[in-house]
Amino acid sequence: MAVRTRAYEADAAAVAALDTRLVGIGTWLALAADIFFFAAWWFAFFYLRALNNNQAWKAQGVAPPSRGYGAVVVVLALATAVAYFVGSRPAAGAFLFRLLTPVALVFGLATCLFQGYELWHLGFGLTEGGYPSVFAGLSTAWVIQFGLATAWLASIVTQAGPAGDTVARRQPASFFAWILLFLAAIGIVNYILLYLVA
Amino acid sequence: MGVFRIEEADRPHLLRLLIIWVVLSIVGILAALQIHYPPYDQSVQGLDQSRTLALLTVLATPVFIGVVIMVLYSAIYFRRTTTELVDGPPMLGNTPVQIAWIAISAVLVLFLAVFGIVTLASSNVAQAVGTPGRSIGQSGGQTGSGTIGGTGPELQVQVVAQQWYFTYRYADYGGVETTHLYLPVDRPVELHVTSLDIIHSFWAYQLGVKADANPGVDNIFHVTAQKTGSFQVRCAELCGLWHGHMADSEGQVVSQSEFDTWIAQQQKDYEVISKAVPSYAPFYFPEPLLKAG
Amino acid sequence: MVVPERVSERRLSIPNNAITGILFAIPGYFAGVWLGTLFGLNDDQNTGVILGYIFATVAFLAGVGFLNYPFERLFGWRVSPLTDPDENRGVGRFFRLSLDHKVIGLQYLVTILIMLLFGGIGAMMIRTSLLVPDSSITPSGNYISLIGLHSVMMIFITSAVIVGPFGNYLVPLMIGARRMAFPRLEALSFWVVPPAAVILAAATFWGGFPTGWTGYPPLSEQASQAMDSYIVGFALIAVALVTSAINMLATIIGLRAPGMTWTRLPMFVWGIFTTSILGLLAAPVLAAALFMLTLDRTTQTSFFLASNGGSNYLWENLFWFFGHPEVYIFILPAFGIIMEIVPHFARKPLWGYRTGVVGLFGVMLLSFFVWQHHLFVSGIAPVLRPFYMLSTELISIPTGIIFLVTLGTLWRARVWFTVPMLFCMGFLFNFLIGGVSGVYLSDVPTDVTLHGSYFSMAHFHYTIMGGEIFALMAAAYYWLPKMTGKMLSPTIGRIHFWWMFIAFNSTFFPLFIVGLLNMPRRVSSYDPALVGLNRWVTISAYFLFGSMVLFAANLIYSWFFVARPALANPWHARSLEWQVPTPVPARNFERVPLVVAGPYDYGIPNARPVADLGGVVGATGGG
Repeated sequence: MAVRTRAYEADAAAVAALDTRLVGIGTWLALAADIFFFAAWWFAFFYLRALNNNQAWKAQGVAPPSRGYGAVVVVLALATAVAYFVGSRPAAGAFLFRLLTPVALVFGLATCLFQGYELWHLGFGLTEGGYPSVFAGLSTAWVIQFGLATAWLASIVTQAGPAGDTVARRQPASFFAWILLFLAAIGIVNYILLYLVA
Repeated sequence: MGVFRIEEADRPHLLRLLIIWVVLSIVGILAALQIHYPPYDQSVQGLDQSRTLALLTVLATPVFIGVVIMVLYSAIYFRRTTTELVDGPPMLGNTPVQIAWIAISAVLVLFLAVFGIVTLASSNVAQAVGTPGRSIGQSGGQTGSGTIGGTGPELQVQVVAQQWYFTYRYADYGGVETTHLYLPVDRPVELHVTSLDIIHSFWAYQLGVKADANPGVDNIFHVTAQKTGSFQVRCAELCGLWHGHMADSEGQVVSQSEFDTWIAQQQKDYEVISKAVPSYAPFYFPEPLLKAG
Repeated sequence: MVVPERVSERRLSIPNNAITGILFAIPGYFAGVWLGTLFGLNDDQNTGVILGYIFATVAFLAGVGFLNYPFERLFGWRVSPLTDPDENRGVGRFFRLSLDHKVIGLQYLVTILIMLLFGGIGAMMIRTSLLVPDSSITPSGNYISLIGLHSVMMIFITSAVIVGPFGNYLVPLMIGARRMAFPRLEALSFWVVPPAAVILAAATFWGGFPTGWTGYPPLSEQASQAMDSYIVGFALIAVALVTSAINMLATIIGLRAPGMTWTRLPMFVWGIFTTSILGLLAAPVLAAALFMLTLDRTTQTSFFLASNGGSNYLWENLFWFFGHPEVYIFILPAFGIIMEIVPHFARKPLWGYRTGVVGLFGVMLLSFFVWQHHLFVSGIAPVLRPFYMLSTELISIPTGIIFLVTLGTLWRARVWFTVPMLFCMGFLFNFLIGGVSGVYLSDVPTDVTLHGSYFSMAHFHYTIMGGEIFALMAAAYYWLPKMTGKMLSPTIGRIHFWWMFIAFNSTFFPLFIVGLLNMPRRVSSYDPALVGLNRWVTISAYFLFGSMVLFAANLIYSWFFVARPALANPWHARSLEWQVPTPVPARNFERVPLVVAGPYDYGIPNARPVADLGGVVGATGGG
């Protein structure tokens, strides 16, 4: 309320505060929608695993891909999110921000490449039962979203010049950290399900 | 009734509405009771459904009439008569009335829910001798683990759906597969509905049976026919090109002796074929479907 | 606000209009098909077709100008500011990417009315086919294609028909905002709808899809490439639902004018608010399910094939987890419209404002817990059925509250019988029948007989057409004077109402009986004993179509031919959207208004006007 009443055209600070507030609300709403998207996949995982129709949850010879490799992908995703989170905190100075966002971008690109390589060399065919279906589908859905987030991260980096959009709208940009952290957390849950529970 | 203070101005309206509502509701309920509700009485379950439909209509009639006469009454008596715009009395709400409305609708709803659950359970009492805990339409369903050949006196009949016809296998008669469904009268039947390709729905209208046929699932449905005669079978789930023609009007409920004669004849007629079809199982997995044509 | 110097003044020079969109979309389609054929895992063309549709849509959006902003950002160029509505006047603005919520509302309105025409023609073809009890007019295969096209087209329309035109246009006006929170998302929620409709229509080139709107696998996995139209089209609608929901919720939460407290919010805004929550949370589940279906059809995974470790119940559960909230996405804004319009014409305060809001939220919350009532006979675990029977019947309590609030508002009112008021009363009658018949379907024993029959078909047409579309008509007659600046003819409006009301009931009420008498949905050949009733219904349906033509005629006549300019506030309504001039100024309010009273304070002595339009001097409301 206070924010809205003070939002005068001339008062750049108030306009920026309103901007920040709206971006914040939008971020949380988007995450609420996305959690339902992934919940649908987790439901599919547990449902098909419990049914095990025709004993074909995993056909003969189907085993989860390397746990170590999967862990690398998740750690890279987490590193992306944490690097950006730390850099984008209001408390962090401009130097830390300029240092950490490119680092986060590198981690993000590596995440996508590693995940992509794994999907290309699965070690099992997609037709071989329920588990391969869920593994391929969930990992693809996740990496598509992470890839789009990485592209946005790249635009934050390119706009991080002295007069770029990121600096002009530093506060809204910091909300993006929550999206990366969210996707990394989803990645951890997916890892537990797809590699450990299987 | 201290909470329901009726304002002086409301009285004539409420009285009129009450009289109209009571009269019309009585007329409406009497009319509703004259209707013969499908699926009539060829089976115990069908009769249950008919009765439930009648009960729902009897309960819905006063509700429906009440709201409609409120709307019409407002349209007639509360319309503006002057040419210039005037505001109505500023009534912001009345908590006791709102609570009463919600309470009444809650009671109606809970009654309906309890009644529905009791009907479900009593359909079980009515026919499922020796199989306690089973209600109509129960299935191994989502667990995917059906059982073959129950031990009770129920006749086991498997309904096999495929594009675009139903066939029937009688487990107690060597799994013989027939093209029409014959059921003995007054004998509980356990239908095991399954599909060989896509989702169908087995709908025997006069018997009050509808059960989806899913590939790889044994959907169990209990029915006890109580009158001889023919019944119609249709598919009730869109299943592709000839869905509309997936019907058979030659289903028969017959006496036990006629049934025995018929099934013996079927076993003889289909003896050769019986050797070729897979042995009786709760469900079948044919060769994997080719997807996406 | 001082705009800081940017690094570069370079701009992407893609013109942003629909024509470049179409020019981009065509090569986009072929590029997608080529890529899909290159990487397609099988010799079927599904990968190509799906990628073709997706590429075409992205190219269309690029041509419309959506990608300018992200690419300019990515290249480190100066980012485009939000288009200033002052610069964007003239008829051409309706064919360009506009970030003005008023333009988007009207773009939506016209697009959806055109789609409605096609959906309606589909319905007429279906009814024509049913004039005879065999398949001699329409062959069986064509008939189920028609069913699929009609149903999915209508689902597309009804998902957006109120939120799109009226929500976008009116919500900022009603809450005293000068813009939407996320105009780009708002524009996106519109610009994916035309591609969705075109892609759906493209299914006819592949012979149509056989599954109806439910798309049940494995049938939808057998189906031809037409099924890909269903998948991509529906996914685009899911995108529209989510983007629209995020924008609406953020706007309502964040951009209310000073003094527009939650208890002064108009009921229509509450309707949009609750429906947006449903869209936000339900549509992603549909997106996930469609993704699984896509993988099954292209890369031969087996999410839905029982013989290979999948299950068709997976689709049924995911689809209906979306599908049942979806039908409340249709009806909640309609509830909002009814509770909004009735007080203005009853000239009375809303009878129980808070109760009404609780009713809307009750419907919204419960609708997430009822989806398995669509699966009562499908073979779900029997222990679940009493729960879903109870939860489904519980929804009638909050729905009853909506009726109570409306009837209480009419009580001892001074009803001004305008055309919108007539449609509100028609809504009450039709939706009552729709709701009561819903109770029949929620009871498991009766559902065994009624499921999949014309009874359920009549039930949901009563709620959607008799409910939502009647509310839409009320909204059109009520708000179009503000949106187009032209009054719709009340004389034609009255004829339209009675014609439509009688034809509607004459069409759909007999279908309850047809359903009770053993006629399943979606069949072109039926029991010859029912031919009389079916012919009656078909003739009535032609009349119903005629009433819609009359509405279109009224719309075109009053919009383009007869200059009968609307006053700023022809209904003498209190609420905020009527306090701005007609046509609405580019920035809605000269200053952000200071709201000082509720919108329905009729007859209250010394009630203040709803807002001080002098407002908070210079406040932007996010300007």
